[in-house]
Amino acid sequence: MSHRHSIFCILPPHILQEIARRGSLAQRDLAIRNLTISAEVRGYRQGLAVTAAKLDVTDALAGKERIVYDAQNSSVLPGLRMRGEGDPPTDDPAVDEAFDGSGATYDLYNEVYDRDSIDSRGLRLDSTVHYQRGYDNAFWNGRQMVYGDGDEDLPEADRLFNRFTIAIDIIGHELTHGVTQYEANLVYNNQPGALNESISDVFGILVKQRSLGQSARNANWIVGEGLLTSNVNGVGLRSMKAPGTAYNDPVLGSDPQPGHMDDYKSVPYDNGGVHINSGIPNRAFYLVAYELDGLAWEKAGRIWYDTLTNRLTATSNFQAAANATFAAAKQLFGQGSLEQQAVQMGWSEVGILVEDTGNDNPPPPPEEPPEEPQGCLPTVKSLLGF
Amino acid sequence: MRIYFERSGGFLGKPVTCTVDTESLPADEAAALQEMVAAASFFELRETAPQGRDQFQYKVVVEAAQVKYTVETTDTAAPDSLQPLLRKLTLMTRSTKFSS
Ligand SMILES: [Zn+2]
Repeated sequence: MSHRHSIFCILPPHILQEIARRGSLAQRDLAIRNLTISAEVRGYRQGLAVTAAKLDVTDALAGKERIVYDAQNSSVLPGLRMRGEGDPPTDDPAVDEAFDGSGATYDLYNEVYDRDSIDSRGLRLDSTVHYQRGYDNAFWNGRQMVYGDGDEDLPEADRLFNRFTIAIDIIGHELTHGVTQYEANLVYNNQPGALNESISDVFGILVKQRSLGQSARNANWIVGEGLLTSNVNGVGLRSMKAPGTAYNDPVLGSDPQPGHMDDYKSVPYDNGGVHINSGIPNRAFYLVAYELDGLAWEKAGRIWYDTLTNRLTATSNFQAAANATFAAAKQLFGQGSLEQQAVQMGWSEVGILVEDTGNDNPPPPPEEPPEEPQGCLPTVKSLLGF
Repeated sequence: MRIYFERSGGFLGKPVTCTVDTESLPADEAAALQEMVAAASFFELRETAPQGRDQFQYKVVVEAAQVKYTVETTDTAAPDSLQPLLRKLTLMTRSTKFSS
């Protein structure tokens, strides 16, 4: 996929900002235009589609930047811009929840795991709310997060779902699909797909627990709490603690998630049950975090983050993930540490016996694009009299 | 006209299905469904590949006048003209009359 702005010149933003403040009128215009184009490119950069001559504007522009759009009940993405970084709250709860939730997710990755956004280079976080009508879902389209309003088109007595921004862990889940896309890039079917789903649930629930200041043992480990209306017999969409128990309702049916390999479901839908079998690694994570107690994002989360970013490949299955978390725990906390023992126990409880692959050293990180944009920096510098 | 509908995937991941025979529906409901199928130009729709994460995946099979046509699509791939039919059939899966 190529980008329309295939030719443009890049100056480090601090220089551009300086020009924008102090330069002549013409210089200011040019600087502002460059800043704008950089921001656009940054917003649209894609995981496997880094084109535009690999011009890397994102390092310089790194930092938290969010935009929330309104699809106005249509399917058009991204829709109308409603709130950007630095803007005050709106009077639309969906807009503000998407804004705050993506901010809390950015903060977890940045403050705890030292990661700058989805691509670790400050990719702008775009979200769209009010997608379609009666849309009971949220998704990541490969580029941005999208949220429906639930059953808002039905009379209240018939509604099963509330708006999908209502649960902060759903926002963390969707944004984490972006992180996974830039890291292990797990294929979206069968076990790698269920791992992909589980990783989104894991970091989604960590965003929730961190925002509530909850320890692993005080948290309820319910994904999508508050999503179901009072018409439904259920507490949320999934339970990481007890998969298969989140809801049981005459209209919605019962929660299909297994919590043990003995109950793994090979199904011909949902890409081989990616949202179903994710219950197994979800429960393994819960068990590890519970065993270690304290704040789940500090130890268990760190082991999973290292696994996602350094140790998994696109086709990793549950066994490979178990082995990788074991190796990660060893590297982070030591051979035979309580943390490593907890990892072994967590997987074994869900029917996966960790194998010590002895793989202490993660595979080398993928090749980075060149740091410096080529060619035009000196040109623009001289043009601007630097 | 007979319709078989299947929706899977989505954040929840729980599949829902329904089977509808317009013969067995009240006339106005049958007409409304037929209009939605016509408005979508259903028999001219092309299949689309699944994309993204957590999107719903739909399979719609319509049998009418001895023609049987299947469309498989996703939220962002489905044309706007098909959305009302997808929403209508999704709600029908909630009724014990149609769900299978
Ligand atoms: Zn997902």
